Amino acid sequence: MPELVLPAILKNLDPLMAFITDAAGKMGFDDKKIFHIKLASEEILVNIINYAYPGGQGDIEIIVNSRGAEALVVAIADRGIAFDPLSLPEPDISAPLEKRTIGGLGVFLARKLMDEVTYRREEGRNILTFVKRKSSDQA
Amino acid sequence: MESTFSVIRDNDLAKIELRGRLDANNAPALQDELKKLVGQPIKRLVFFAKDLEYISSAGLRTIIFAKQKIGAETRVFLIGAQEAILSVVKMSGLDTFMSIQDSFQE
Repeated sequence: MPELVLPAILKNLDPLMAFITDAAGKMGFDDKKIFHIKLASEEILVNIINYAYPGGQGDIEIIVNSRGAEALVVAIADRGIAFDPLSLPEPDISAPLEKRTIGGLGVFLARKLMDEVTYRREEGRNILTFVKRKSSDQA
Repeated sequence: MESTFSVIRDNDLAKIELRGRLDANNAPALQDELKKLVGQPIKRLVFFAKDLEYISSAGLRTIIFAKQKIGAETRVFLIGAQEAILSVVKMSGLDTFMSIQDSFQE
């Protein structure tokens, strides 16, 4: 159960993402799925970096697991303000461009690209967990 | 690959070459460069993406921003993008306002 804890600052985005994509690589995910895992991870991590600790600082904790040899399970946690990113409304990607809203796209992509995305608030922590299967037909 | 971009303006044509990654690290810098084109008579905005390996929503938002701010009359092109990039572009609905092409004919 590999685990990484780093301060939630933009400078740490690369090592945090690399921790997840390295695990996916070791499990034998193909390049396109690793791209998608990286993208989903970035969206979740950037949200935490930008919004979890307003005016303060705190950590991001990542726990990587596998479900057999087939599925990667990534839990990303913070101790910031309670926030369920899955509660955001989906962006209307068919809306006329001038009416496109800029927010919500990252979470929308993470949900589309991963097989499961769940959120829970537990003991003062936001815990977002996503699952990607090697046999995934998501995108 | 090092992540870099360049913005070259040639009259009403703006060429943006993207290399490596376009993500939360460097999308703000690209957005700052594209802001300089706001108010300019740009008819075509061309993103060259052959060497782009990764794009996140921060990068996609920068492209949406460019189209929204630079002008309704501006045509936007995405040239030479790899399949993994295209899958995300389409999933985000950016293909509804961008012409996706293998190569660019001026």
